[in-house]
Amino acid sequence: MTDAPEKMTLADKLYRTKYEPDAAHPHIVVDQAVCATCKDRVCLVVCPAEVYKADPNDPKKVAVSHENCLECGTCRKACPFDGIEWKYPEGGRGVKYRFG
Amino acid sequence: MASDDSVKMDAIVVGGGPAGLTAALTMARAGLEVMLVERGEYAGAKNVGGLLYGTVLERLMPGFYEKAPIERCVARRSLVFLAPEEHMALDFGAEAWARPPFNHTFIVHRSAFDRWYAAQAEEAGVNLIEGMVVEDLVTETSGGETKVCGVRIAGDEVFYADTVILADGANCLVTERARAALKLRGGRVEQDFAIGAKEILSLPKERIEDRFDLEDGQGAAIDFFGAPFDGLIGGGFLYTARESLHLGFAARIGSLTKAGLSPNDVLERLKAHPLVRRRIQGAELLEYSAHMIPEGGYDAVGDVSGHGVMIAGDAAGLVNMSLYKEGTNHAMESGRLAGETAVEAHGRKDASAAVLAGYAEKLRGGIVMKDLKKYRKVPVVLERSPDLLGLYPRKVNRLLTDFFTVSERTKSKTQREAIRAFLRGLPKWRFLRDAVRARHLA
Repeated sequence: MTDAPEKMTLADKLYRTKYEPDAAHPHIVVDQAVCATCKDRVCLVVCPAEVYKADPNDPKKVAVSHENCLECGTCRKACPFDGIEWKYPEGGRGVKYRFG
Repeated sequence: MASDDSVKMDAIVVGGGPAGLTAALTMARAGLEVMLVERGEYAGAKNVGGLLYGTVLERLMPGFYEKAPIERCVARRSLVFLAPEEHMALDFGAEAWARPPFNHTFIVHRSAFDRWYAAQAEEAGVNLIEGMVVEDLVTETSGGETKVCGVRIAGDEVFYADTVILADGANCLVTERARAALKLRGGRVEQDFAIGAKEILSLPKERIEDRFDLEDGQGAAIDFFGAPFDGLIGGGFLYTARESLHLGFAARIGSLTKAGLSPNDVLERLKAHPLVRRRIQGAELLEYSAHMIPEGGYDAVGDVSGHGVMIAGDAAGLVNMSLYKEGTNHAMESGRLAGETAVEAHGRKDASAAVLAGYAEKLRGGIVMKDLKKYRKVPVVLERSPDLLGLYPRKVNRLLTDFFTVSERTKSKTQREAIRAFLRGLPKWRFLRDAVRARHLA
């Protein structure tokens, strides 16, 4: 018999990952005009840190939590409309893997 | 041109991973003035890995594993095929793998390893600049030809160099700019990426050694295929570090979006499989991470050099995505070759496209591109024959468990039924076709 392990939420998991946040300089900017017409919104699915969410205040928009970004770049490759402007966070900022 | 107060180096390397550090080390050892710019606070801060292949490093630093932060050597490998409630494993290893040079295969934490490697490069004379982002390249165009002559750091500081080596990894913004500015050709097919997500799970050393049947210093590398990845082009892995486990998976981005599955969901599916659950039982999450892997293979590799610039490692797409999954050694080998080419260019005082094309030639004539070429069909085979990773392993799994199911039925009947169940729902012609195609994976 085994104990069923507690399933952690993604938020709990991200809490274990270390970041050097840079709230003042978002390194991700989405083109809301593109998001408003995008039906599939693959960014909501494919981001391992769920950085992209439907904006609760305006479903036409996509809300971006850039501070959770793991900097993998998957969203850049997945967005079929080039609607994501993605830069590296400033030097030393962003995710900081202790194990990697 | 460089103004009087700007810094001019012999070479600048962008990115402090295995490719960039090897390039920088090679050039510094040959006496070049080298600067390496890493955007993380320290080399490895942005890197994710697990297995380190040490063939190239062994040549550069014999016996490196005595000093480097190696977690364990890989003494045993397993290929595990998972059905929802069944499993089938192929377990193999050799005592020789637990002795130097350890089959050149090690389990590492990249954050520690890359930092150590960066310190070695620094000791060899590399000017290591960490916590700095290269925003753009400095280029010059004359006579219709554009050349790279330096990098622009955040804050608009400019550093000049005769040669710039780009090793900015899978998510390579600087390489993308270089490709556009110098009109470098892409590969025959567009690069295709997988997303890998993993967890580092803490578990006491003794429990790891008991659970995975290991002696001190020895590790296991397990690859998972099958049920948790149904509908995806990808698979999972578990590597035993010293006091932690790397558990994760990688799958083609397009297959995830098509299936509507998020990386974290897939990881949870893997963790929920009874066999995996028992392997990680009692382990506590230390870190969750994600990284892209360029999986396009041979045909996705485009130009890797231009006037004043060379591209190495993941940024060039040099990953072998067959069962070998080698990438770190390819990164180091490409970095070494780029570094050597930069040393030659320095000696000739000529970093023109023609001279740096020597790097591309060395790469094509060497082990990296030869291995990539051997497996050039892997991406297409996995795309066109998804049953190779899904249906067939599950069928064989079922066949085995049915075969060994004990009941009051005669063995003849049990076996007949098992074979009948195996053939039921097995698309015969497609199976034959896929079996023939599978030769490209080995």
